Amino acid sequence: MSGTTANSNLPRRIIKETQRLLSEPAPGISASPSEENLRYFNVMILGPTQSPYEGGVFKLELFLPEEYPMAAPKVRFLTKIYHPNIDKLGRICLDILKDKWSPALQIRTVLLSIQALLSAPNPDDPLAENIAKHWKTDEAQAVATAREWTRLYATGA
Amino acid sequence: MDSEDDMQDAWGGESDGNLSNENEEEDEEVSQSNEPDYGFDDFAADDDINPSSRLPQSNYTILSEADIRQRQDEAINTITNFLSVSKMEAGILLRHFKWSVSKVNDEWFADEESVRKCVGLTATRAENRRRSQTENLKCAICFEMHPLSRMKASPGCGHYFCETCWTGYIHTAINDGPGCLTLRCADPVCGSAIGEDMVLGLVVEEDRLKYKRYLLRSFVEDNRKAKWCPAPGCEYAVELGFVSGAGSYDVVCKCSHNFCWNCLEEAHRPVDCETVARWILKNSAESENMNWILANSKPCPKCKRPIEKNQGCMHITCTPPCKFEFCWLCLGAWTDHGERTGGFYACNRYEAAKQEGVYDEADRRRDMAKNSLERYTHYYERWATNESSRAKAFSDLIQMQAVHIEKLSDKQCQPVSQLKFVTEAWLQIVECRRVLKWTYAYGYYLPNHEHAKRHFFEYLQGEAEAGLERLHQCAEKDLQEFLEGDTWQNNFNDFRTKLAGLTSVTRTYFEKIVRALENGLQDVVQGQGAQGSHVAQGSRRR
Ligand SMILES: [Zn+2]
Ligand SMILES: [Zn+2]
Ligand SMILES: [Zn+2]
Ligand SMILES: [Zn+2]
Ligand SMILES: [Zn+2]
Ligand SMILES: [Zn+2]
Repeated sequence: MSGTTANSNLPRRIIKETQRLLSEPAPGISASPSEENLRYFNVMILGPTQSPYEGGVFKLELFLPEEYPMAAPKVRFLTKIYHPNIDKLGRICLDILKDKWSPALQIRTVLLSIQALLSAPNPDDPLAENIAKHWKTDEAQAVATAREWTRLYATGA
Repeated sequence: MDSEDDMQDAWGGESDGNLSNENEEEDEEVSQSNEPDYGFDDFAADDDINPSSRLPQSNYTILSEADIRQRQDEAINTITNFLSVSKMEAGILLRHFKWSVSKVNDEWFADEESVRKCVGLTATRAENRRRSQTENLKCAICFEMHPLSRMKASPGCGHYFCETCWTGYIHTAINDGPGCLTLRCADPVCGSAIGEDMVLGLVVEEDRLKYKRYLLRSFVEDNRKAKWCPAPGCEYAVELGFVSGAGSYDVVCKCSHNFCWNCLEEAHRPVDCETVARWILKNSAESENMNWILANSKPCPKCKRPIEKNQGCMHITCTPPCKFEFCWLCLGAWTDHGERTGGFYACNRYEAAKQEGVYDEADRRRDMAKNSLERYTHYYERWATNESSRAKAFSDLIQMQAVHIEKLSDKQCQPVSQLKFVTEAWLQIVECRRVLKWTYAYGYYLPNHEHAKRHFFEYLQGEAEAGLERLHQCAEKDLQEFLEGDTWQNNFNDFRTKLAGLTSVTRTYFEKIVRALENGLQDVVQGQGAQGSHVAQGSRRR
């Protein structure tokens, strides 16, 4: 890793987490820090099998704020996705990214939780109202739309 | 000068003939009770006499920071004894149940296990095995290995993190706000509560003060029975004992701010919180502006922009660029007007149409709005005038206490302690102005069709206004003579008797009017507004 001045006093914990993410990545997840800013990660999550996102490759960005790990990382989808807990700006409604954050959680656990969220959408705690409504009134059709979006936006990139 | 007779003249002059008997009867009592009658007509008096139209002091308690701390300690001690838990645990329980000792008790004895789980008082420890001081442990937050001496376990659950990480964790929580009072273990699935001892044992002084501040504030802010005084900069809280039957929540803070405990607006007896909220909303510019525009403007018949009429003339010219000239009454082009329509100053096209009943709904609405606007303006102006009188009286009172009392004491060779009656008079004036002010909001919402009530209300209000005027005059003008006079005046004692008497009788009258209005003027319905009968009912005091 190139040590620019901005990255010079990176906490040991972040360095260790990064090393482990690169050496033993979680299945279906890749996360690599950007060259210029070691607190900024380019993330890719494969759509889980058995989910409407299967076959898609979803890009996300993850940023570790100054207070990390006391404060949660900031994560956002860059790939368009049809999901009741993800809004059109890619923001994610996930408890561990908010009030349930604990400094003993890690980047890895956060990304695994997001992957799990793709397998199990929760329309009762929605971020995207319209999509959640769609999900609750006609799940089959909503799932079809999610598949269509996956095909349109998350494949062949 | 016989001050009492003097005042009888001043007060009794306008009273109804049929009241004079009652007044004489009162006079007899007066000589016994040493309280002269100043001519307020009694009405619907009940026998219990409240010392003030404010809530009786015993109904609420003003709490300083020290009082709050004391109450917190008492609650914690009680819970510690009842439940046989530590003080730290008692604190966690009380904060969770909003400082209600009885709620903690009830819930605990109903289901201790689920209460423990819910507040994070886990009875089981995560790691029980003994550790040697030389053992190195990995901290799950900073990922470093530390000797046991640098690690710290949460006393509730036994989860270890290094001291630096615990401190950072707690620091972050404290700076996130009062949620730090219900902080849980840093382990993501643990949920064990982190108590005061651990927090205060780790953090720096600044965080310590913040945490203690939140702890203090939680007693008021989470507590259903306590609220902070809303006066800017005031640090007292007011704890309510029980709610009086009348449902009034007016309290006076030690900072002298007089407010409604329920809605936190300024004190507003005799009107209820709902009326106050409606009235305040009504007074807000937008809602009235709409009506005003409706009453005073019409759309230009050509360009449709609202045009305001601010002069008497019916010839309106729209603003540029339109500049259309039209008649305000019929909205026709002004060029059509002249001799044929009855001259330039009357539009009989409108009159004729009106007589035929043609004038449209918009016109009728506009007329109604205009009437209701006039009615509102009537009450609002009087409400606002009394408010500015109250504010003026309040600053006079401050001035009185700061400067005049001492001056008066010098001039009249009276010890300051003997001049309390002056400040009491001014306190009463301030209070009465406030009550009077709110009677105008009351009057505004009193239905027009309730003739007997309306009649009686206006009578009471008129009496109150006149009586207060007399007191105000005496406290202002009469006092001035004694302040400005060059020498000691021997009629100062007469002045004392007069002012103290006026204060007392005005207070009594206002207490009664407040109770009558809070009662919804129920008594008048039975009596059908016959004032004589009320006097007869009310004149005897036991
Ligand atoms: Zn640590
Ligand atoms: Zn724990
Ligand atoms: Zn106060
Ligand atoms: Zn109120
Ligand atoms: Zn115009
Ligand atoms: Zn006309």
